[in-house]
Amino acid sequence: MTEGTYPYVMGGVSSWCNLLVESLAEFDWQVLPIVAPDGRPRTFALPAHAEEVARIEVWSEELPKRGRGRSAARRSGVDLPSILVRHLLGWEGNTDAVVSAWVWCRRHPAGVRRAFRSARGWAAFLAGLREVLAERVPEAGTPPTLDMVEAATLYQTLYWVARTAAVPTPQTDVLHVTAAGWAAIPSLVHKALHGTPMVLTEHGVYVREAYLAAARNGDSPGSRFAATRLARGLARAAYAGADVIAPVTDANAYWELGLGIDPGKILVLYNGLQPPAEPTPPPRTQTVVSVGRLDPLKDAHTMLRVAAETVGYMPSAQFLHYGPVPRGEEVYGRSCVALHQRLGLRDRFRFMGPTGDPNGVVRASDVVLMTSISEGLPMAILEAMGQARPVVSTGVGGVPEVVRGCGLVCPPGDDHGLSMAVLMLLRNPDLAWRLGRRGHSRLGRLFNESACLEGYRELLQTLAGNATERAVPALGLTA
Amino acid sequence: MTGATLDAREAGLVVEARLGRAPQDMLEAAVVLEAWAGVPAQAALAAARTMMPPVAAAPQRSVGRLPRPRNQEGVLLDGAAFVVTVIAIACWAAPLGSSVGVAVVEHALMLALPLTLALQWALGSRFLDRPHGVAQLADHRGTLILGAVAVLVLPSLAFGLGGTLAGLLTITWTGGTLLMRRRWPAVYVLAILLATVAMVADAEALAVVGVTAAVTTFAVVAALWSSVPPVRRSLGRWERAVMAGAIGVGLGLMLILDRTVSWTDGAVPALALLPSAVAGFWGGYHLRHLDQAIPSALSGVPVGVANARGLGRAPVRVLLETLGRFLLLCGALSATLLSLTPWLGDSARGAGVLVGFAVLALASMLVGLLESMGRGRWALLAVGVAAGAEAAIRFTGADPFPGAGLVVAGTLCVVLVLPAVLGLLRRPARTLATALWIP
Repeated sequence: MTEGTYPYVMGGVSSWCNLLVESLAEFDWQVLPIVAPDGRPRTFALPAHAEEVARIEVWSEELPKRGRGRSAARRSGVDLPSILVRHLLGWEGNTDAVVSAWVWCRRHPAGVRRAFRSARGWAAFLAGLREVLAERVPEAGTPPTLDMVEAATLYQTLYWVARTAAVPTPQTDVLHVTAAGWAAIPSLVHKALHGTPMVLTEHGVYVREAYLAAARNGDSPGSRFAATRLARGLARAAYAGADVIAPVTDANAYWELGLGIDPGKILVLYNGLQPPAEPTPPPRTQTVVSVGRLDPLKDAHTMLRVAAETVGYMPSAQFLHYGPVPRGEEVYGRSCVALHQRLGLRDRFRFMGPTGDPNGVVRASDVVLMTSISEGLPMAILEAMGQARPVVSTGVGGVPEVVRGCGLVCPPGDDHGLSMAVLMLLRNPDLAWRLGRRGHSRLGRLFNESACLEGYRELLQTLAGNATERAVPALGLTA
Repeated sequence: MTGATLDAREAGLVVEARLGRAPQDMLEAAVVLEAWAGVPAQAALAAARTMMPPVAAAPQRSVGRLPRPRNQEGVLLDGAAFVVTVIAIACWAAPLGSSVGVAVVEHALMLALPLTLALQWALGSRFLDRPHGVAQLADHRGTLILGAVAVLVLPSLAFGLGGTLAGLLTITWTGGTLLMRRRWPAVYVLAILLATVAMVADAEALAVVGVTAAVTTFAVVAALWSSVPPVRRSLGRWERAVMAGAIGVGLGLMLILDRTVSWTDGAVPALALLPSAVAGFWGGYHLRHLDQAIPSALSGVPVGVANARGLGRAPVRVLLETLGRFLLLCGALSATLLSLTPWLGDSARGAGVLVGFAVLALASMLVGLLESMGRGRWALLAVGVAAGAEAAIRFTGADPFPGAGLVVAGTLCVVLVLPAVLGLLRRPARTLATALWIP
């Protein structure tokens, strides 16, 4: 189960999915992506042993197929919005109640829309929302008072949560979810119905990224509250339901532990790359390359300021950024262009657009720069290490543990520190080459592709072997 | 600065400095400490827990962001183009009657009007009323051309020359709608005006209509060819488009079932449509304010007072203003037209028909509003009942005055639809949440 990534969108998570699906050919893969209804074509071709079994389009107008027991569903479904708001948004919401409600959605797909379009469903939702807003838990802060527009927006979002739960899933031996959010919903229902084991891989920490997005986008307190509490509710349900949680880095594991997960469930499986046998030396052209989406999480503004300061000391330095402006971040993309002009960077910093050859562009650099404020275990850094290029990066997520001894790490947003680190490496190409080679060697030892694949092969085989049918749990919503 | 050296007070200061406010909860505080202060996750979570105040603060009042208003640029231009084309097409009746016979034109119009309305409503529901819907229609150019061929061939096979004329008129009018929505009204207006000039100059009327339909079709293909949607969004549901098409058929039937209205009596019937059509267009334009009026009425209203009275005042006011504008403009234009008695013939006859068209236009506007608020079934039922009543009057011959069928059907439709519309507007929160945002 994927969410906004494989096989439709290019990016680190998608590349990882593609690697797994293509390389673990002994498994039959059934891909169930959650996507926006934008008619986007697939970016990745699926191999013969993989198929896309369905495509969940959220915020489309398509109706679900009719379920059984329509009149019964009408009676029992009116509590659905109320259960979802109380247990997904409540600080101490009951994840079992959420999963039971989702199971009801799966059994009565047509009842979901009916429940949410009914006056009683709306009234029950408002009552549930008032309960949530009245909660007073010290660590949860005081919930803001949402207005009716925010309440209606949340209601619509919960409708799509319920619609996602209603989508049928195929019979399978193991469920593999790639984010502790929307992608987990169909899996949790499937698990509740069939007892199928579930693996959750977290590249970034879903909750952390939702909070970061909410903190930076300047939304109203009510919208921020709704978005973050929903993300937290989805993540809690995913963590509770997963048999194994496989973060890609120890840093993510610390977050997951901090969110109250049983440590016994956590198995860190690093991402990996296949490094070339013998790396080529850097071009020594004072070229700094960065690869990634132009997205606030990547903090491209800091990157531009780093470039400006570096060029101030070393006018021959050249910065090349490869990566697209993702859909929905066009305003941020324009702000980057505006800052580029304001800093007078001209051709010293060039936005090169997306690349289909990340290894090639990294190979043509002397230093690889990353300024993200949130990361798991970024592929861009592994690619730099694979090409024996030193990394200058912000110390977020799993970055410090990855680049230990083969790059320089600064606090997020520290453009001066990052710039000094870049300068030091550009002025000392021998040191840069030495660090690069150490990175190359470290990648081969710790973050290599075969170790990553072997870890997943073993995990999936174990879970598939252990899969047993379980009794269907008692449900809060009855037919 | 590292997590190890941060105490709760320092952590709190860092977080507030970064956010410009107190954190929403400990998770937000932890995220900020990690992302912007470089504090490792474990330390950030621990520091965040300790910095949250033990006593609850007063809840902050939130005001949600309103949806962006729809772009209405060019709508008035479209309206002007619409008026010009109605007047021009009104001038076609006489030359067409002379060319192919009055009965053939009568039959053609009785077929073309419901068919055109059905296509316009269905296309509107699935494509045209949606953001970038016209551009997305470009993906269906082949289907559109096949549809145009079917609209021409099938009625021709079934009804002969009348069917051919009906097909050509349907293609022209429906194509005109597409061109206006694509913001190419000038092309359509030019084609219609040239056709009118040719007809007045005694050119073969049927051939002129054929050429106009062909030109319109090519213009539509060219217009769609040159449009690329910036973002592909989901289209309207087929079921809903079919229902909208059925509503269009019903409204078309209401338009033609009144046997006292002759569509071939020169330009008179088409001109009699003008006051109600123009007023309906203006009213419909004003109704677009509901897009903003409904959420605005709810903005800043805390969920705790959801049942507060008076929330529906603003949306209902928009409806009343719309009705007022409609009645005012329709009345003024109708009176002007009536004063041109020699054109309309008997003034009493003209008055009945004008009132009938006015009520029908009002019904169409309200039916459209109800359908757009997700109550298509009720709208279809109302249109069906009204068309049925008009059919009964037609076949029993019980029309006490000219235009009585139109008046009765339109009034019945308004009576059935208006309470439902008012009911939805008086409860804007429920309508927004359960009908508008859950299609």
